[in-house]
Amino acid sequence: MTIDFGAVLPYLPVMLKALGISIEVTVLSFFIGSVLGIFVYLGRRSGLAPLRWLAHGFIEVFRNTPLLVQLYLIYFGLPEVGINLNPFWSTLAGMTLNNAAYTAEIFRAGIESVPNGLVEAAGALGMRFSQTFRFIVLKPAIRNVLPALTNQFIVLFLFSSVGSVISLNELTSALADLNQRTLRTLEIFTIGGILYYLTSAVIAGSSRLAERYLFRW
Amino acid sequence: MSTPAMILAQDIHKRFGDLEVLKGIDAEVDEREVVCLIGPSGSGKSTLLRCMNALEKFQKGHITICGHDLTGSKTNVNEVRRDVGMVFQSFNVFPHMLVLDNLMLAPMKVLKVSKAEARERAMALLEKVGLVDKAKVYPTKLSGGQQQRVAIARALAMQPKVMLFDEPTSALDPETVGEVLEVMKALAEEGMTMMVVTHEMGFAREVADRVLFMDNGVVVEQGPPREIFDNPQHDRTRAFLSKIL
Repeated sequence: MTIDFGAVLPYLPVMLKALGISIEVTVLSFFIGSVLGIFVYLGRRSGLAPLRWLAHGFIEVFRNTPLLVQLYLIYFGLPEVGINLNPFWSTLAGMTLNNAAYTAEIFRAGIESVPNGLVEAAGALGMRFSQTFRFIVLKPAIRNVLPALTNQFIVLFLFSSVGSVISLNELTSALADLNQRTLRTLEIFTIGGILYYLTSAVIAGSSRLAERYLFRW
Repeated sequence: MSTPAMILAQDIHKRFGDLEVLKGIDAEVDEREVVCLIGPSGSGKSTLLRCMNALEKFQKGHITICGHDLTGSKTNVNEVRRDVGMVFQSFNVFPHMLVLDNLMLAPMKVLKVSKAEARERAMALLEKVGLVDKAKVYPTKLSGGQQQRVAIARALAMQPKVMLFDEPTSALDPETVGEVLEVMKALAEEGMTMMVVTHEMGFAREVADRVLFMDNGVVVEQGPPREIFDNPQHDRTRAFLSKIL
């Protein structure tokens, strides 16, 4: 069989639709997981010891086990205790928790890089801890770790391919499916790889734009 | 009966671990009074000042400031801090906000002042510190002296009853020290109650109503600037002044 990209082009819309699902699950899990990650970080430095242990344990468990194992547990394991999530929600849950554990550590680095003098100045103006955190600490902290967050976003996007093992119809799953149907492995996965690459490039580019316009001071 | 002191500190003891940095300090600042704290590095001046708005905790003693009792565990420090402005050695202006937003944030979030009013107040204060043209600039674009003037205006935007200054000119280039001291002097002339930790003896001599000389965690002597500078009673004061003047 000769190499013929033209033969697989009709399947591009199917691939793009699947890519849409990959992007959807990534964007949702990144943003929900990052907000959760901030709270996990806050839990880690809480005055309440049980909360600290809980946050610490959460980070340890989700950083030190494969996302694939986490997904198996959520999709195939949880039904045994009566919790049934469909492939989309299972993948979203796994990726969100996984991302929360990683971003909690990233935020820790970012928040600790904000000069304590700014926190003191906000406190001296009568601002509560929550106000100081939201208005004074968060933005400089995010700017300081924007490259690390971008990296995490891209890694998370590429990891969304593991959703295919629990039959989420995301891009990798669609590629495998089309491969079986057309037997044009080289063409299918080359185009798939290019789609992953282009999407990652858009994420990296957006991050640089954010750095230039949103986080410039 | 005279009006109660704006700041009254009695027998303040403060230790960091084994190091006792304040060994029983008494200090008093009356309304409209300007008190300068002078003394060698490590004498406890800044620590004492930072006790006044609860940035530092103290182990023993009693502080009342603007009618708030800092000793009681039920004291809401944020309420105290609304009445007490503070200016830091390192400016601590918020780098990610325009100068105008630096001045508007706390009045809006803490005092719940409307945006329009916060803005009006902020512009008036920028006028006062001579930085109206910098309202829409990020503080990182400003010189140290300008940043410190922003910091002063930011503290004043809360309309405090007392201002604390923690070595406000120590981090400045010599040529910008004057513009900050001018702003502070104008504030003193308006009748602001001020407590100032400083190494600027010229400022203390000219502006202070009273000077406290601290060394090694105690107030060695205090009095009107002329007495302290021209006729110090203690050897330690004399030794310090001879080095610095």
